[in-house]
Amino acid sequence: MRICCGLTNHLELARRPDLYGNPVVVGNWEDHVVAVSEEALPFGVTPGMALRQAEHLCPQATFLPPDPESAAHLRELISSALYDLAPTVEVRVEGVAWLDVNGVVSAGESIREARRRLRTAIGREPRLGIGPGPFSARLAAARARPGRLLQVDKAKTFLAPLSSHELPLDAEQLERLDLLGLRTLGAVAAIGPRELESQLGRDGRHAVLLARGLEPDQLTPWRPPLFTSAHRQFEEPVENREAMLFVARALCSDLAEELGLRGAGAKLVRVRLQLESAQHEQRETVVRHPLSSAAELFGLIGSWIKEWQPRAPITELWIELPVLEGAGRRQLRLWAGGDGTSEEVIAALERLQERWGDQVVHKPRPALLSSPLPSQRFA
Amino acid sequence: MQEIALDAAINSIRIRFGSQALTRAAELPPPQPWPSRTPIDYLTGIGGLPHGRLTLLCGNGTCGKLTLALLLLAGATREFAHAMVIDTGSGFDPWTLIPFYPELSALTVVRAPALDLAGEAAIALARAGAGFILLMGEIPEHALGPLESGASRSGTVIVGVVDAPGRAFAHASSLSVGFSRTDWIWERGQLVGLRTTARCLKNRVAPPLGETELEIRYPLGARPLSDHPVQVAEVPRELMCESAVV
Repeated sequence: MRICCGLTNHLELARRPDLYGNPVVVGNWEDHVVAVSEEALPFGVTPGMALRQAEHLCPQATFLPPDPESAAHLRELISSALYDLAPTVEVRVEGVAWLDVNGVVSAGESIREARRRLRTAIGREPRLGIGPGPFSARLAAARARPGRLLQVDKAKTFLAPLSSHELPLDAEQLERLDLLGLRTLGAVAAIGPRELESQLGRDGRHAVLLARGLEPDQLTPWRPPLFTSAHRQFEEPVENREAMLFVARALCSDLAEELGLRGAGAKLVRVRLQLESAQHEQRETVVRHPLSSAAELFGLIGSWIKEWQPRAPITELWIELPVLEGAGRRQLRLWAGGDGTSEEVIAALERLQERWGDQVVHKPRPALLSSPLPSQRFA
Repeated sequence: MQEIALDAAINSIRIRFGSQALTRAAELPPPQPWPSRTPIDYLTGIGGLPHGRLTLLCGNGTCGKLTLALLLLAGATREFAHAMVIDTGSGFDPWTLIPFYPELSALTVVRAPALDLAGEAAIALARAGAGFILLMGEIPEHALGPLESGASRSGTVIVGVVDAPGRAFAHASSLSVGFSRTDWIWERGQLVGLRTTARCLKNRVAPPLGETELEIRYPLGARPLSDHPVQVAEVPRELMCESAVV
């Protein structure tokens, strides 16, 4: 397993790139610090401490209330941006992005592209680390210079001299490690998992496996969302077909942009017309190959609207995509050789069949080649 | 004297419309060739049919263009994962391909009775990156631009077979080879093939414009057709080479 880790600011800090270069502390009043900028760390401010204490240590810092929704949205955007670079991608709001580049043909290119996209999303150069698992990759990234990659070949050797405080344990467990004289990961690795389990419980066993570079943790792959829709309400009920096509095209563009952002394709398309008479009409279809571009969506929906005969003027137009897929074609960069092309060609033929009928595409298979009747020669 | 005048004309065009307005074909980076192992390779000047460009085989009547196109198609089925035929109503029969030993699993025929469908299919397949597309006729003018750009990105080899190309189709092609039958080949009172001249009419990928003579021999006899490979042989003849300005 080869995991690349991109380490950036906490995503709460990335919401305000204008404050880069200044000490910033994110946290609720009378609560704990959620995120700290690099500039505030030298003052002794660390995540998890009381905000009052942080203010006392670094009064010149800018204090911001947390906005988990915005941070989660930013995480979604970054995940979708990295989705086509590796089969498995995990992004956390702490500012950590992992890519499992195992088996990726051009891993170097994927990592370079990940660096560029993270820089675009966050506004700062990420630190990059690559190692046999998420833990060692993250520690490697933390020790790399901004915009540089630190590669770890042997995790155990790399981890041995590092502080045991790098382990994902709470403050009390770390203090117990200190009392046991286990101040480096090498020391933790030297003792048996059962011994530390008897002291710290299951976390102790986990800590030993991490310190030994055995990487017991797996990435949680990000998956595109499953539903999206767009609608437009008309001020005056509409009967004009051209106006409906115009609106449908705009909605398709919006949806395509969103699908592109999320790296998804629509497997089921539904169009719903809300009529002036408070009734509604709808039409839906399952498509063989996920639709993701505006042209593809409008090609289907536009053809419906052109022949639709609504019973009354329309007050609202809904385009719903109830079933989305993390369309494989979105991970084009991962395909090697002609695989991607083959998939794309088959998809193109399927789209032609959907639009013009199955008989349009014919793959000749020899049947009775010596037959005098042309229709019998091929199946 | 003529060269001086030509240089002056070239310079005036460059001054007026920019240095990129007019470029010597020899200075252009040539597209990657697909060696088809047919005599046509010599006429392209790059050793094969250009990837990502449209090549036209044209000529009136029975002149051998379709035979050569089938030879190219059969070669493409053996070398590409997807070799496509876009049949614009001419009734392409895969049986005619058998003498050339094609790999039929790689062959797909798109039957396009409507020109719009032919255009749409050609664009979609070129964009998707099909290895080889054989156009059995013209496609609508509005589809030529997207077809060119799609093929250019994916590197698809596109070959069109038409009697006389329209202006738009001819303009969109990077390589045009015209065929004209010079003679029938008779042996023991039986028609066994034809002799044709293949002349490079337009070449936007390399300087040489040349011509060559081909002998095409039909399969004959009582044996199954697949045991009678059609022969397309080149009759050596001087190749006229001259630099072309595009």
